[in-house]
Amino acid sequence: MPPTPEYLLLFRGTQWHKGLSPAEIQKVMSKWRKWFSDLEFQGKMKSGLPLMTEGKVVSGANGRVVTDGPFTESKEAIGGYFLITVPNLEEAVAIARQCPGLEYGAVVEIRPVALECGPAKIAREAGGTYASA
Amino acid sequence: MRVPDSSDNMPMQSADMPQVLENLFRHEWGKIVATLTRIFGTERLTLVEDVVQEALARALQTWPYYGVPENPSAWIMRVARNLALDQARRETRFRKKQEEIADFLERSDFGDPRFSLDEIEDDRLRMIFVCCHPEIPQEIQVALALRTLCGFSVGEIANAFLTTEAAIAKRLTRAKQRIRTAHIPFEIPGGKELTERLNGVLQTLYLLFNEGYKASGGEKLIREELCHEAIRLTDLVACHVAGNRPQTHALLALMLLNAARLSARTDSEGNLLRLKEQNRSRWDKPMIALGMFHLAQSANGAEISAYHLQAGIAACHCAARDAKATDWRQILSLYDRLVELDDSPIVALNRAVAVANFHGPAAGMAAAKSLRGRKELQSYYLLYAVLGEFEAQLHRPQAAANYFRQALKQTGTTSEQHLLRKRLRECEKQLTSELTPG
Repeated sequence: MPPTPEYLLLFRGTQWHKGLSPAEIQKVMSKWRKWFSDLEFQGKMKSGLPLMTEGKVVSGANGRVVTDGPFTESKEAIGGYFLITVPNLEEAVAIARQCPGLEYGAVVEIRPVALECGPAKIAREAGGTYASA
Repeated sequence: MRVPDSSDNMPMQSADMPQVLENLFRHEWGKIVATLTRIFGTERLTLVEDVVQEALARALQTWPYYGVPENPSAWIMRVARNLALDQARRETRFRKKQEEIADFLERSDFGDPRFSLDEIEDDRLRMIFVCCHPEIPQEIQVALALRTLCGFSVGEIANAFLTTEAAIAKRLTRAKQRIRTAHIPFEIPGGKELTERLNGVLQTLYLLFNEGYKASGGEKLIREELCHEAIRLTDLVACHVAGNRPQTHALLALMLLNAARLSARTDSEGNLLRLKEQNRSRWDKPMIALGMFHLAQSANGAEISAYHLQAGIAACHCAARDAKATDWRQILSLYDRLVELDDSPIVALNRAVAVANFHGPAAGMAAAKSLRGRKELQSYYLLYAVLGEFEAQLHRPQAAANYFRQALKQTGTTSEQHLLRKRLRECEKQLTSELTPG
């Protein structure tokens, strides 16, 4: 069976709700809730979670450098993600276009999950297996 | 929606999710802003609003993923409390008070449903008295009330008042400055002061209602919301022991008896309808019943306020099965007393309409024409619209058409223009048929 394509929807922008009134916040929340649970109901939602804005960034050899962050610009910062299972990129785009935050300046980034990268595919065709599989 | 694939572990249907009450966020806003203002003090109103805004934003960020909590109000309150606590701890500017506040917040738990409801009600009434304090100019009070008590954004207030966001933001900044410099306390006034301050509160709520009720301009939805918010706040005042006075009930009755007829005021295209053209089955009967209840409650005192008389007039309209059954004798007598209390030309003009309905258009015309010298009315389209109406009833279409044209020059709103043009066309049609022999 061919692997099912998966797409990661990244919600960028953590400040777009700043100027909204309580009534508008409630409206967007309810729409977003419905959007999420409809995708669950349709079996397209693999997982989806909100992210805290501040965490840690590790870099350098042996993780030598640990800093607070990422202090990305609030427009760029990721506020949450959906991992969805749909047949193709077009459908992933159609779903992303329903994001209730778009109207207020949120940005959705769609990244297809690389099911098989080039070298792994070559290795499989050559009869190899994944270490974890 | 697509039919789902058959699956053993089908996720819960979206229809099963707990529904969030309409206006919940807006109403929680008002409650929590009031409670936190008691703790932080009126001079920190901006900080309090930021905290509540952030608490609602947290709901927006998490509820879509984890679902709506079982007790949404308690959830929002708890988050607001924790954010306020963080804020108090973080602050260095108000070092001394900060410890006190943090200490208080740690001990209190206003997310707890056991937390005294009376206390919340007291805080909300105190907040109303802050917003309607005589130190704050009245037109600013209305904007402040919408922001602080009802959670309207600057944009929503600007929409309702047909002005710019910058103008509203400026008003709100001025209001908050005034609260700080005048050291407006967070309290319900007592003794003799209460009556006077309560009158101020009622007047501001009346203005708020009228802002929503008047037909001219603005987004229809927002205007109706203004009316409903004014009713909600007046109800809050009426239910509190400090505000439970006959004229509070009279004001509430007047709002309910007028708001009940709001949706029938326009046709399906949003065009204004005259009272006699309205479909009375669209009037909100439960709201009328509630209005009548408060009208009865308002009769407990010796004093008859302008609110009593206006509520009485609205009640006459509500009680009439159709336009013909309207008790114009009673309405006119109420207007006769109202003009003694309120000398505004608009009241006098409305009285002229009542005169016309009871004594005939010629008498109405005389009453309306006596208003022509009134400065405040000179550029008022309504006077000409009413005079045109009387002329039409007197079968003088030429004169009526002239008045309608004059009225048209002075109103900018499309719904009013539409009604006037319709009346003008009817007069012109009558004129041509008179000129055509046969």
